[in-house]
Amino acid sequence: MEPSISQQTSPGLTEPVKPPKSQSPWALARRKFLRNKAAMISLVFLLLVCAMSILAEPLTMPVEETAKINLTQMSKEPSADHYFGTDKSGRDVFARTLHGGKTSLLLAFSITLAVITIGTLVGATAGYFGGWVDNALMRFTDFMMNFPFLLFVIVLKSIFIESSTGTLIFVISVLSWTGTARLVRSKVMAEKENEYIMSAVSIGCSAPKTIFKHLLPNVMSTIIVQATITLAAMIVAETGLSFLGFGVPINIPTWGNMLQEARSPDVLTSKWWIWIPPAAVLTFTILSINFIGEGLKDAFNPKSNR
Amino acid sequence: MGDLFSKEYKFNQRINFCLVRGMEMLQYTIRRLIGMIPIIFLISVVVFTLAKLMPGDALSGKIDPLNSDPEYIEEMREQMGLNDPIPVQYVRWMSGVVQGDFGDSFVHKRPVMELIGDRLPNTIILGISALLITYLLAFLMGRYSGRFAYSMGDYLISAFNYLALAIPSFVAALVAIYVFAINLGWVPASGSIGSGVEAGTLEYYLSKAKHTVLPAIVLGAMATAAYTQFLRNDMIESSRKDYVRTARAKGTKESAIYNKHILRNSIIPIVTLLGFDIANLFGGAIITETIFTYPGIGYLFVESVNARDYSVMMAIAMMLTILTLIGNLVADLLYGLVDPRIRLS
Repeated sequence: MEPSISQQTSPGLTEPVKPPKSQSPWALARRKFLRNKAAMISLVFLLLVCAMSILAEPLTMPVEETAKINLTQMSKEPSADHYFGTDKSGRDVFARTLHGGKTSLLLAFSITLAVITIGTLVGATAGYFGGWVDNALMRFTDFMMNFPFLLFVIVLKSIFIESSTGTLIFVISVLSWTGTARLVRSKVMAEKENEYIMSAVSIGCSAPKTIFKHLLPNVMSTIIVQATITLAAMIVAETGLSFLGFGVPINIPTWGNMLQEARSPDVLTSKWWIWIPPAAVLTFTILSINFIGEGLKDAFNPKSNR
Repeated sequence: MGDLFSKEYKFNQRINFCLVRGMEMLQYTIRRLIGMIPIIFLISVVVFTLAKLMPGDALSGKIDPLNSDPEYIEEMREQMGLNDPIPVQYVRWMSGVVQGDFGDSFVHKRPVMELIGDRLPNTIILGISALLITYLLAFLMGRYSGRFAYSMGDYLISAFNYLALAIPSFVAALVAIYVFAINLGWVPASGSIGSGVEAGTLEYYLSKAKHTVLPAIVLGAMATAAYTQFLRNDMIESSRKDYVRTARAKGTKESAIYNKHILRNSIIPIVTLLGFDIANLFGGAIITETIFTYPGIGYLFVESVNARDYSVMMAIAMMLTILTLIGNLVADLLYGLVDPRIRLS
């Protein structure tokens, strides 16, 4: 019997009729995710929040106007003019919630991007090269992990006198990439033992090419799930810091800055419309991100069958 | 020769194992503690550098604010050693720290250690109450969820878990104050002790408990999710094991199977989460204590950063970082204690 090496080696390219192709892991994951109700509802909600935040200006008013103090409109209850009422300085709460969302989400996304990039680079380098590179990088990561997050963000933040959103992104990113680095390292270490990596190396792929073209796409699912978890954590971090007064400068509306008003007993007690909207949007946004994260984790897990 | 199955033999075996294990753990602990010394040294360099980088210096709080004569200021700087090279200042600070002396607070005009000693008990009370609440709630909820998995109650508990994970602690604190302190008026909204209450009386302790309960519940209840989920999943997994089938086959009551056989095995791994929680509780207390204006370490830290009270800030930063190190060690030790298969090395 002759072992027939058929044209199957390049399926779907030349044949007029495509052979039945098994679905790629990505397609499988996408199908699983689309069927996950909680995750899909959350995704729609998150996209809605993002869209409304991005369209804050056409929907309501320019940012500059949200900061304008209006003494004739102080602490008004919700009405047709002001959907969520006005705060103690007569600023429209609805407009501020939307603009606040823009700042809070943009910050969280930027920090997440920075954290995932640094973490992935460090983790992949350490995991791929091993040896003294791994040793040095992981020692450093462990060292950075010792610093209590909130405490050192506050310390670092107060070093910069001109606090801007840029410094906040920098300060938070510097302190939060360690978890991602460790995770990516362990995944890369497991993945690099596979034959396809060895063959890539043996045909002369350079280290960066092997890492970026062959290794990272295969640990991407882990990184994506980690990114969603980080995103939720970073929204909490930013709003928490702003709430304490160590985050975004107070004149820029963010959900955390808006909630800061609730620290005055008067607002907390009798002017619920000033702090409930940002609190509710914040909580539901994080909830939806968590559900999306769970959905992704489930979708990427070949063992789970929903 | 003793019978292999005699009680005495088993007992001796056990004692022997414990002794060997104990020595191993002791050695491991000592090795880890020695390993911490260079790390603590590096951390102290980082903390000192950060404090030096901060705008303004210790001087601003210590001199006569009305006297702005440059000569006077220069003299004071010289006197306090602020003109010395930075490494000299570091060595001076560090030699104090090693002896447990973090200098004086510029705002409170007292030794830092005294100030922290005043506030620390409050944070410890808050932390321990929060931890107890976490364990109690997680135990009850996890036990229920594990036994009646995929029931209505299980879904409710998991819904609570999702919510607890999603609500930021400061939002939870605000809602709790709004509902329990303001609308219902059950507990006070801020502080750690009522005014005019004499220390040492029963009234004092009651007042303290009343002030602590709300922040403790907020801190504690928000942290249950991980524990509950852990216990639930472990119980579900255990319920498929052979020893459970054996117990069932013998006719053991279902409640006894769950409460005795499974729970005993599932409750142990939870202990390992404790190590990480030690540091988390103190770190998390920063936000909670600030909202409740609860005079603990976290609130003191925020105050000291705002007032640029560097010696206090540095002391707390050092303390909490070392606490994190110790928490990690405790977590590793607990792992070894719970699972004898793990080799400590």
